[in-house]
Amino acid sequence: MRTTLKEGKFGVNEGVSLVITGIITKLFYSSASMLVNSMGTAAWYGTIVSCLTTLVFFLLTCLLLKRFPGKDLTEIFVETFGGVFGRLASLLYSAFIVYYVAMNLREFTDIIKTYIFPFTPVSVILVSFLIVASLLVSLGLEVIARVSLVYLYFILGGFVLLLALTSSDYNPDLIKPYLGYGLGNTLRVSFFRSSAYSEVLAVAFFAKSLQGYQNVKKAGITGLLISGGLASVVTLLYLMAFGYVEGREPLSGLFQLSRIIYLSRFIQRVEPVFIFVWVVSSVITVSIAFYVSLSIYCKVFNISNHRPLIFLFSYLMLAVSILPKNISEVLDIHMIVVRQYSFVLSYGLIIVALIVSLVFKRKGGKA
Amino acid sequence: MKKKDNFLAAFFKKLAYKKKPKAKSFYIPEINEHSGNAGAGPQDPAGGGGAKKEGKGQGKRSQKASGAAAVSTDINENLEFISQSFNLPENADIIIRQFTIAGEVRAFMAYIDGLVNKQLVSISILRPVLSLKSGDFERGKKLIDFIINNVIEISGVKKSANPSDAIYGILAGKTALYVDGCDSYALCETQMFEKRAVETPRVENIVRGPQEGFTEDLKTNVALLRRIFRNKNLVSEYLNVGYRNNIQCAVVYVKDIINPAIVKEIKRRINSIDVDAVIGDGVLGQLIEDEAWSLVPTMLTTERPDRTAYCIAEGRAAIIMEGSPFAIIVPVTLFSLLHSPEDFFLKWPFAILLRFIRLLSLFLAALLPALYIAITTFHREMIPTDLLISIIKAKENVPFPTVLEILLMEVSFELIREAGVRMPGIVGQTLGIIGALILGQAAVQANVVSPVLIIIIAATGLGNFAIPNFDLAFAVRILRFIFIFASAVLGFYGITLVLVALTGAIASMKSFGVPFLSTAAPRVRKSFDSFIMWPIWKQEMRPDVLNPLDTRKQAPISRKWTKEDPDSGYRKGEDDA
Repeated sequence: MRTTLKEGKFGVNEGVSLVITGIITKLFYSSASMLVNSMGTAAWYGTIVSCLTTLVFFLLTCLLLKRFPGKDLTEIFVETFGGVFGRLASLLYSAFIVYYVAMNLREFTDIIKTYIFPFTPVSVILVSFLIVASLLVSLGLEVIARVSLVYLYFILGGFVLLLALTSSDYNPDLIKPYLGYGLGNTLRVSFFRSSAYSEVLAVAFFAKSLQGYQNVKKAGITGLLISGGLASVVTLLYLMAFGYVEGREPLSGLFQLSRIIYLSRFIQRVEPVFIFVWVVSSVITVSIAFYVSLSIYCKVFNISNHRPLIFLFSYLMLAVSILPKNISEVLDIHMIVVRQYSFVLSYGLIIVALIVSLVFKRKGGKA
Repeated sequence: MKKKDNFLAAFFKKLAYKKKPKAKSFYIPEINEHSGNAGAGPQDPAGGGGAKKEGKGQGKRSQKASGAAAVSTDINENLEFISQSFNLPENADIIIRQFTIAGEVRAFMAYIDGLVNKQLVSISILRPVLSLKSGDFERGKKLIDFIINNVIEISGVKKSANPSDAIYGILAGKTALYVDGCDSYALCETQMFEKRAVETPRVENIVRGPQEGFTEDLKTNVALLRRIFRNKNLVSEYLNVGYRNNIQCAVVYVKDIINPAIVKEIKRRINSIDVDAVIGDGVLGQLIEDEAWSLVPTMLTTERPDRTAYCIAEGRAAIIMEGSPFAIIVPVTLFSLLHSPEDFFLKWPFAILLRFIRLLSLFLAALLPALYIAITTFHREMIPTDLLISIIKAKENVPFPTVLEILLMEVSFELIREAGVRMPGIVGQTLGIIGALILGQAAVQANVVSPVLIIIIAATGLGNFAIPNFDLAFAVRILRFIFIFASAVLGFYGITLVLVALTGAIASMKSFGVPFLSTAAPRVRKSFDSFIMWPIWKQEMRPDVLNPLDTRKQAPISRKWTKEDPDSGYRKGEDDA
């Protein structure tokens, strides 16, 4: 497969930051309350099970990458499934990511509208957000990776600050009963919730930019473990602050958490400060996914310049994002698809490709 | 003699309408570019390419490319060539002195009045040449060599067989000597012109450290550098830019430190400039910088020889232009722009504190008004009740929305600043202070703006002045208005979106091949002088992003005395005995 898109190079640090930002951004959305809703008080370790499940899938992905050194997933699909089916498989990913971006965008917009700008038209929030994301995408993968690395410290700092400032509200008794809705339920839900960590696959699509399978593996595993640990801590403290009954209700669990900050009569209601962290991580996440989708599309059709397609893709994402009638539809249908069942597609095709390559002894590429 | 009108005729003349004769007004006639009479032609090396447009692919218009190829052996032709080249007799500055050596051989000297040391010309060139007697020399082409080697009493003399070089030399203040029958000129270093003395830097003032700055003289500037950096590998390469003003610039670097690709790239960019006049480092900088459309500068400008020496010792290059008291340092990163020359002369904790203050000033200068608008317009819940009450009280009589108040004050502040810069010396400073005081006070009393806003604008202004790089401070002034607009429309959300877009734009920038956000992104080997400045003795390596030939700046243990025992020493707990 001839690939003409020049994506530049970046290191493991940037790779790790892409993975972490991509995964943890959803904690700012409805993810924390959805976790509590589906696993109760077991949510905080349930997410670790999801993370470990993803780790196994990711190691299988690395195994596939190892068989085709110097190639990324798009090229590997063509090598294993053949020209037509390989390209179709890649296009399926591209289409799913468009859907993923659109739903993330919609969820973000609805939460912003609910909490911060109740009178601002959704279109203004959506379009302004997409303009900045499109700008980052037009600047290229290298730039997105660098921006994510620069802001990673601020994002992690924001988490730490938020959790530290609400420490007076933590009650360890609120994480009881420890088994939540039962161990079986926790394991089942957390297995499906592994989809929530599928952003790690971005590094597999950028294997060439990361300069080798070893770097992909390093960035992916490090990013996954840090994200899993952070998600677990955040969920644990969220549970300790609200308990599982109250914790199921907020649209954005962490924003609700930021609202209860009361350090003194002077320092209270500081939740707008966290808008900065929230918006930054959301823009970067959407840009990463946007770029992955665009990059796959360009590679499938041997397009050397991704820029002319940015407007079309952003328009497509905008159109898909306004399809759901309301936030309830987004959360009850689309987010369940994205964060619970998408692993069937995300890892299913990779596992099939791995099996095909093992059975038919297909391997290739240059280290 | 004019006949005098009688009284009646004069009276009627006064009554009658008389059309006044109108004087013709001047206009600039159009020049037919193809007629060939527009400016100097290609035969005129001093004039460059004239107004003629050159076709594509014709390459750089260079004086060297035009003009005669070889020096004629006939003195009359050479006189004609020099006269034509310098537009004699209209051009009064060019002096051509004709004389005869030993009453046999005709010769002439040419130089520009005001650029040469006339005494030196008379004593060291003219007098020895005129003292020659007929038996002392042989006529012919070799005569010029004889004069250069045995007669002229000046250390710097160069033989030139290219007429264009002779023209260049004369323009640069050299004296060209031609002797009939020879095919070369002798170019003597006789330059001397008025120049400013070395003075205290005007823009980069510091408390500790050297107090001398660059001047407008290129040679003096290079000498100032050489005085600080005494190394045989300190190279200064001279290049000419501007095909009409033919100004020199020097690329200064340390040959065994800098990555050769950087020097090659600088020279490639400067040599490729096809512009008629390059006046000053500001113009040159714009012509060679990577990000021509960016607000943020990708080159560092300094007027301090000590800072320039520090930079070239790190593996960077300095570009110094004739007529400019600034050096351009390339390549640089964003963090370099936040450094001040004083940092190197202070103990590291003080330098770190100052750098944090500068970062804060950058933050205030860019974001403070925007944050104020966002908080008071969109996120009022953030403001503690007591503070909110005092802000509302102060604002209750002000009829304008906050964003308009801010814009009003910002524009006034910019006006005061610009007016202060234009006014001479102390008047400018007074105008700035009085203007700000009176305007602020009057605006508050007239209920045009609230007092809190004056504090915000003042803090923003102070922040802007604290940014150590002049170009960066300018960029921040413009960015501030973008942030104000974003916050007025979308509050914190808008500010954050602009901030991410700006970070993306900066992350995509490069300065002569070096990513502008390194060492933060991309991550490279830990630098001990990026944003945080570590102790001098910890700064063992040169910046990784520069890929220097010699990466190590110091020995692993640079303070060897810490590992050695002093002649008269003691260990803790030991007796003095």
